[in-house]
Amino acid sequence: MHASDKDAAELPRNNHPIGADNQRRWGLNSFASRRKIFLILFCMPALLYIVFVAVLPLAQGIWYSFFDYSLMRPNRRTFVGLENYYTLFKNNEARTALINTFVFTFGAIVIEFGLGLVLALAMWRDSRFNNIALALILIPVSITPVAAGLVFRAVLTPDFGLIGYWAAAFEISSQRGFLGDPSTAMAGVIFIDVWQWTPLVTLILLAGLKSLPGDVLEAAEVDGASAFQRFRMIVFPMLLPAVFLGVVFRMMDAFRVFDIIIAATGGGPGNTTDVLMVYAVKQGLQFFNIGYGSAVANLMIVCIILLTLVVTLVIRRADRRINS
Amino acid sequence: MKLQLFIERATITFGLIFFLLPVLWLITVAYMPGSAIFASPPALGFTPTLKNFDTIFTLFDIPKLVTNSIVISLGTTILSLTIGIPAGYALARSQSRFAPMMAYFFLAVRMIPTVATLIPFYLVMRDLGLLGTWWGVIMLHTILNTAFVVWMMYAYFRGLPKELEEAALTDGCTQFGAFFKVSLPLVKPGIIACALFTMLLSWNDFLIPSFLTNADTKPISVALLSAFGVQDVTWGTLGALAHFSTIPIVIMTLFLNRYFVQGLTKGVH
Repeated sequence: MHASDKDAAELPRNNHPIGADNQRRWGLNSFASRRKIFLILFCMPALLYIVFVAVLPLAQGIWYSFFDYSLMRPNRRTFVGLENYYTLFKNNEARTALINTFVFTFGAIVIEFGLGLVLALAMWRDSRFNNIALALILIPVSITPVAAGLVFRAVLTPDFGLIGYWAAAFEISSQRGFLGDPSTAMAGVIFIDVWQWTPLVTLILLAGLKSLPGDVLEAAEVDGASAFQRFRMIVFPMLLPAVFLGVVFRMMDAFRVFDIIIAATGGGPGNTTDVLMVYAVKQGLQFFNIGYGSAVANLMIVCIILLTLVVTLVIRRADRRINS
Repeated sequence: MKLQLFIERATITFGLIFFLLPVLWLITVAYMPGSAIFASPPALGFTPTLKNFDTIFTLFDIPKLVTNSIVISLGTTILSLTIGIPAGYALARSQSRFAPMMAYFFLAVRMIPTVATLIPFYLVMRDLGLLGTWWGVIMLHTILNTAFVVWMMYAYFRGLPKELEEAALTDGCTQFGAFFKVSLPLVKPGIIACALFTMLLSWNDFLIPSFLTNADTKPISVALLSAFGVQDVTWGTLGALAHFSTIPIVIMTLFLNRYFVQGLTKGVH
């Protein structure tokens, strides 16, 4: 657009709205600017959709969070400034939900990447067996999360569950089962998330492994580097970009976990598995505290942005230290 | 070398057992009679029965639930692909330095926790009188999915050589023609992958439809959870319901596995 603006300034003003001069003024004849307009038009529907259906409601949510606004008392809607956020930080339940969310996210990601790395290394070789195994291992990714939560809730039940019964009988879990006991419930829901999403992490890491240059690894092997040395000095540093993207994507999803928890524990027992998403939905859409619920949702957005920044910094620093 | 192969195979086999057993349980429990499900200690052998399927057909309006799921996920898929693919193409072909930034903007949209848009959206839908219809669900699903489609198609279109299109354009092809007839057929794998993912996300979602639909318009993912709470209902009904909600989508992904794997890899990188 800038180039054609400059052209327009140099041309004498033309009073005829339509005509060859006008066309030249807007640069409609040059292919480059027609191309530009075409591409902008092509991008517009998606952009407008996101702005009107996602960004505007988000802005509205920020606006609501400064009000004492509840659908239970629709006539009273007073501006309270930051009071909702202040309540949020004083409230024990909210603080528990915040801590639980971080514990869940951190626990799930660490285990998923540990297991995923082991599986990806085992599947590195190109073979028919590995291809079929990969297709089958990816099945949990497409399972309805609610169904996954319910399956484990059933299997882990201490009375009749296939695993839960024996776990309780041999006193591996308490008599209330893994998901029913406050001390193990969080580990239980993390386990479900690990079951569902480790396959995805495996795939991401496997794609990273397969893109490594084979000649470098061969050279190291010829030079007598042990398998562990090769992993530590070559494979792991070169895998970092894949790890980084995987961590960011998994983190976003783990931080807003909802379906698995609702299906498996409903946030209980007590509020030991109550995460921010469950808390925000409960406050905003079940108790209809629109103002307060929005404040919780906004806190989540801030946390996700901060987490992404921290992960970016940590991985970049690790990358620099290992690769320099 | 033999030992290494053995360790690899053993690890993979262990992984397969861990990841597939719960799915097998979900399928077999549908054919278990109540007495076998609630045996203590849990029994492994049982005589198969179809009673659980009878139960879900009397308790739930299965055809309606499945229709609702199909309408919501197909609507979302068509809408997200229609607006997402051109945008991905435009960003991939644009020379502007804002284009990569825009691509990251779409990626950032994916990070939004659903409640943050759901609460204000719930109020808007209520004011418009659209609560309890498919529209709200489709519109909200389309946000996440469009962001995803744009990001993924951006990656696919960037991987195409520009020369083909340039040749078509110099031969007098229109810009739209160059996109539609030259580039679009070449990214067919990407389009299939995108369609599969939008379908999957929309079909499996629970949170959004559980607040925006009513008894007549709710999809089967919402019914799954209520199956667990209803009296007279055992895990057998969960398994039977899963035959209509989870198993079809799993079979679909297995058939399209090549695109699924390629898309997951590309969508992340």
